[in-house]
Amino acid sequence: MQAEIQARPSASVAKLTLDTGEMVVCEVGSMIAMSTGFHVATTARQKGSSGLWAGVKRMMSGENFFLNQFTAQRPQQTLLIGPGVAGDVIHHQLHAGSLIVQGSSWLASGPGVTIDATFAGLGKALFSGESVFWVKCTGHGDVFLNSFGAIYEVEVDGTHIVDTGHIVAFEDTLDFRVGKLGDSWIGSFLSGEGLVCHFSGQGKLYCQSHNPPSFGQLLGPMLKPRPA
Amino acid sequence: MQIEIRNRPSFANLLVRLLKGDRIVAESNAMASMSSSITLRTMWNGGFLGAILRKIFGGESLFVNEFTTASSGELVLTQPLPGDIECIELKGQTLYLQAGAFLACDPTIRLGVSFAGLSSWIGREGLFRLYVRGYGRVWFGAYGGIIVKDIQGEYVVDSGHLVAYEPSIQLRLSLAGSFFSSIFSGEGLVMRLRGPGRIYMQTRSLDGLASWVNSHL
Repeated sequence: MQAEIQARPSASVAKLTLDTGEMVVCEVGSMIAMSTGFHVATTARQKGSSGLWAGVKRMMSGENFFLNQFTAQRPQQTLLIGPGVAGDVIHHQLHAGSLIVQGSSWLASGPGVTIDATFAGLGKALFSGESVFWVKCTGHGDVFLNSFGAIYEVEVDGTHIVDTGHIVAFEDTLDFRVGKLGDSWIGSFLSGEGLVCHFSGQGKLYCQSHNPPSFGQLLGPMLKPRPA
Repeated sequence: MQIEIRNRPSFANLLVRLLKGDRIVAESNAMASMSSSITLRTMWNGGFLGAILRKIFGGESLFVNEFTTASSGELVLTQPLPGDIECIELKGQTLYLQAGAFLACDPTIRLGVSFAGLSSWIGREGLFRLYVRGYGRVWFGAYGGIIVKDIQGEYVVDSGHLVAYEPSIQLRLSLAGSFFSSIFSGEGLVMRLRGPGRIYMQTRSLDGLASWVNSHL
């Protein structure tokens, strides 16, 4: 499979080219356009994974219960996928280990990648500004992620600090704890940063430049109440 | 200190590389991520009184943060709105900023608030305005792209689109056209600016987005 990311970073899409027999698993509703030689199957479970429970967990991590599998029936079939929101898409090559993805940032992955929801731990779940469940991508192959805002990459070697709500994904060689910024709790809250995520280890970290809740807090008060 | 504005114009953010002794001041909650070698100090946004005035009237936060490092490190600063960021270098002069536009500045820059007048308030630009003054660089952001224009005589800007302007600019609120056309043209009230001076406009307004979303709710 060949992949090309277009229209970065404001309205990014991934253009995938698949040869006969190649398959890609995508988030439901992410297909924008495709050539006619695809077999499309909607399923709740990935090949080889454990049935419905995987779908339920996926829902709890902010993803859809169902997945779409696109299998090319002819050579050189192209598929254009993108998220519903304005923002970036990136292509990550998974070689070994796992990539832990913030709920709703998973867009698509190759057949060699198992996607599963993982519980982040209660403390992280409540305070990291992300979902309770994360999507865990394990195996070998391509992973596509999306975000609100541009995605940038940080190579962590030691420690790094990320504000809550800016995490997109990280390699499982990294771990993080939620805590204060600086020496004191009061200082951390007065600084406006509140809680931050302290990453440690060695590996790749993807962050998003913008934070949906911050944008929402500005726009929200200007919106009228939804009719009941 | 190296500062780069990335991902322009839709999701602009600042990548700041700090070396020992470098300092940068940023709006509260502007930090997206940073090396753990960087420390920050929270300060009143331009003195205690100024901070309170700005919070109440300028829609700005009470505090700003100053980032420093004892070794070196990287810092990413961002704004809540998707849009562009502009950098200007002040050489002693003053620039007025729309509420919420301030993102970061050199520690040599003074932040303050001054009365903007009733017409600014009615034109939804705020009763008070934030000013930046001194010697150094200032980064400010907008919703949408930023257009710079030097005006000589009079110039008309729709309310909600003015991001920053020089003190030599005079603001006056007026109707876009005749009474009838102002109401039905959708333009309503506009800002009538008189130069000479430089202004910065944003290509979208949050009011515009809100009314568009509201029409779909």
